[in-house]
Amino acid sequence: MKDVRKDFPILNRTVNGSPLIYLDNAATSQKPKEVVDKIVEYYYKYNSNVHRGIHTLSEESTEMYEGARKLISDFIGADNPREILFTKGTTESLNRIAERWVPANLKRGDVILLSDLEHHSNIIPWQKAAERIGAEINYINTDDNGEITIEEVKKMISDKVKLISISHASNVLGTIVPIKEICKLAHDKGIYVCVDGAQAAPHLKINVQSLGCDFYAFSSHKMLGPMGVGVLWAKEKILKELEPYEYGGGMIDEVSFKNAAWAEIPIRFEAGTPNVSGAVGLGAAVTYLSNIGMDNIRNHEIELSKYLLEGLKEIKGINIIGPREADKRTGLISFYFLNIHSHDIASVLNTLGIAVRSGYHCAMPLHNKLNIPSTVRVSYYLYNTKEELNTLLNGIKKALDILS
Amino acid sequence: MHDIKRDEIMDLYKNPHNKGYMSKPTVSVSKKNPMCGDEVNLQLKIDNGIITDAKFDGNACSVSIISSSVLTDYIIGKSINEVKKIKKNDLLKLIDMNLSTSRISCASVVFSALQNALEDL
Repeated sequence: MKDVRKDFPILNRTVNGSPLIYLDNAATSQKPKEVVDKIVEYYYKYNSNVHRGIHTLSEESTEMYEGARKLISDFIGADNPREILFTKGTTESLNRIAERWVPANLKRGDVILLSDLEHHSNIIPWQKAAERIGAEINYINTDDNGEITIEEVKKMISDKVKLISISHASNVLGTIVPIKEICKLAHDKGIYVCVDGAQAAPHLKINVQSLGCDFYAFSSHKMLGPMGVGVLWAKEKILKELEPYEYGGGMIDEVSFKNAAWAEIPIRFEAGTPNVSGAVGLGAAVTYLSNIGMDNIRNHEIELSKYLLEGLKEIKGINIIGPREADKRTGLISFYFLNIHSHDIASVLNTLGIAVRSGYHCAMPLHNKLNIPSTVRVSYYLYNTKEELNTLLNGIKKALDILS
Repeated sequence: MHDIKRDEIMDLYKNPHNKGYMSKPTVSVSKKNPMCGDEVNLQLKIDNGIITDAKFDGNACSVSIISSSVLTDYIIGKSINEVKKIKKNDLLKLIDMNLSTSRISCASVVFSALQNALEDL
């Protein structure tokens, strides 16, 4: 995996006089030159508004935009590219379902099932949607190892549950959630499943059809692509019945002074000028990831997780949260010390050029439930190395020397 | 940061002044850091318009602890009117830690609590 580092120019920079060690990948990943070059090429050679244009640039731009849709469709194993909607990111993708699909399919007294490890963006949209229609929200609990067990899901399922919205992987615990099994269980009862894939799509080989979910949401910027673009995948059958999210130019078939008829999917869901360079950049990112191989990335991350778990365990007073087994995690480990604040550890690490995140990671309910203070989160990706983790481990020890 | 200055600051972090809770405060305000959710509770005892005692507590990082310690030391013995004139920048100058933007929000939590506490006085 080491030779991928040359593809990421930012890894050559220094921070506070030391080489950058970037371990905040769960917040956003770095971008390979191929992705940045593709975006630059788009603006230098092809920039033009998509769809409807007769001139060459508009046709080429449309081809690139729709070509990216096809690349992404293949990357996640969708049935066809019409099932890929471009959004701003996972947050917007989830909000779209909560805003449009929920009111049309749920009624007063129905239940939306979430889990206790969710990011705020997979909690708040459902809270607001449930509030408007008088639905209820219940939570599936993680077990002592930070896992969601199928037994626990079974316990929470009732005739009132109409939708389960759950992360494929936790941004705090690192836990990989058994989506396939949950989907099977849910579909036997006629329950729909929406998956927040923000922390999984960058790390795991995704096939939405074999997972069996109804919706899958993810963000470009966490998987080597540019910021400001993301995807909502949904089954074509669902999309055909779904009300558009926004109204305006580009998403219509016919408009009169009185009303309008919608264009076909997916264009119906993309009112206004889309983020073409973003989509093209994400297309380049999934091409890059496919060339490396998602299985290779996964194996590399499991190796790093094993190594880091071992190293962290040696540190006195540390509390590691989430699954004890490396292969039950994506590429991240969070931990805390009882009397030392996570911000202070992150500050000391920053003086050594090491970027980690500290705080509640947009998962305050989870921290409160576990009754733990804010945590330090170390999240790695294909370009991180064991040598970097050694520097991190020494950095944590240094922070403890200074702070305790 | 000079080593002596750093030692002073670290000493304040490890042995902060005015940390804890007082009995029967005149006013008690809890304030969260919007960036991270950490909370500082500030209590004041006020007699005849003078702050006679100030204490703070909460789950907080070093910057927040140092800032709370310095601010409480600074306001004890001062009148409400004097304290109302303190600006956030005055506090940042007092703690003199050369903070990054994100850590300024850590230092400011106790200042926001103080402002809230004085609002209705």
